[in-house]
Amino acid sequence: MSENLQASRQVDSYRFLDRLTQKLVRSWIELEAQRGRSAEIPWTPLSRPLADSTIALISSAGLALKTDRPFDQEGERQNPWWGDPSYRILPRTATAEDVKLYHLHIHPRVVEQDLNTLLPLQRLLELEDGGEIGRSAAHHYSFMGYTLQPQVLLEQSTPAMIQHMKQDGVNVVVLVPG
Amino acid sequence: MSTITLSSIPDLTSAVGVPRLAAIEYPLGYLLGQPGDRMGQTAVLRSTLQALAEIREPGSVSHLPFEWPASARRLSARPPKTPPISKYLLRHPWLIPNLFSREVPAPNQSELEPQQAGASAS
Repeated sequence: MSENLQASRQVDSYRFLDRLTQKLVRSWIELEAQRGRSAEIPWTPLSRPLADSTIALISSAGLALKTDRPFDQEGERQNPWWGDPSYRILPRTATAEDVKLYHLHIHPRVVEQDLNTLLPLQRLLELEDGGEIGRSAAHHYSFMGYTLQPQVLLEQSTPAMIQHMKQDGVNVVVLVPG
Repeated sequence: MSTITLSSIPDLTSAVGVPRLAAIEYPLGYLLGQPGDRMGQTAVLRSTLQALAEIREPGSVSHLPFEWPASARRLSARPPKTPPISKYLLRHPWLIPNLFSREVPAPNQSELEPQQAGASAS
């Protein structure tokens, strides 16, 4: 049985969405309900306290180092039903100056304003400095959240990211949508 | 690895069955907070990690107690150019139901008017 914690204030899923997107979200929720759960929700208990944990962040905002291969925006412009299913690795010390946002549904100025609103790498380093977490992982990750056909993302990119994280000793992952 | 997803659309995120969910009523693009608001961003990140440590049941949601300030109501991550799918559906409105049902049309169907698509399928 799932639970609602801190339920005194329920988040309104639709507050910041325009009317069409609200309709789209309701439709996709209905699709998930019709599909039903083919399997139990996966669950890995926290293996050690946060103060001893190695934490990685994953953003679906299509972030890449400016020196890295760009995400394929042209492919999406040519075929709007397609989104680049690959991923990029970001070092733990990356800053807004190092990173470019390729997601065509998010304003690129968000990163220029402050990378931490999307991917809080500096905030995580500060929690590490303060001893609240064990450490920020050596590497963090981003992919393009607009992926109507997720097969390659699920079958290739995700296992590859997991492999990298295992090599880095990661035991906690925080996913941050764009 | 233990995971938690921070989401401003928890109804949708929980519908797909994530193990742990931290819900926040902030706009997309700014889920950690406003640009330059170091303390606010730290508070959201810290609360998300605390939720990860506290949640014991798969599929549980922790509603974070943060409120987007009225002074930031104009902050928007809306892109400067209309996204390709939106532009495309303005020209091909008969395919809007495909987006709602996540049924990606075959490439040869995408450019056809409905009656043409029907003719080619028959």
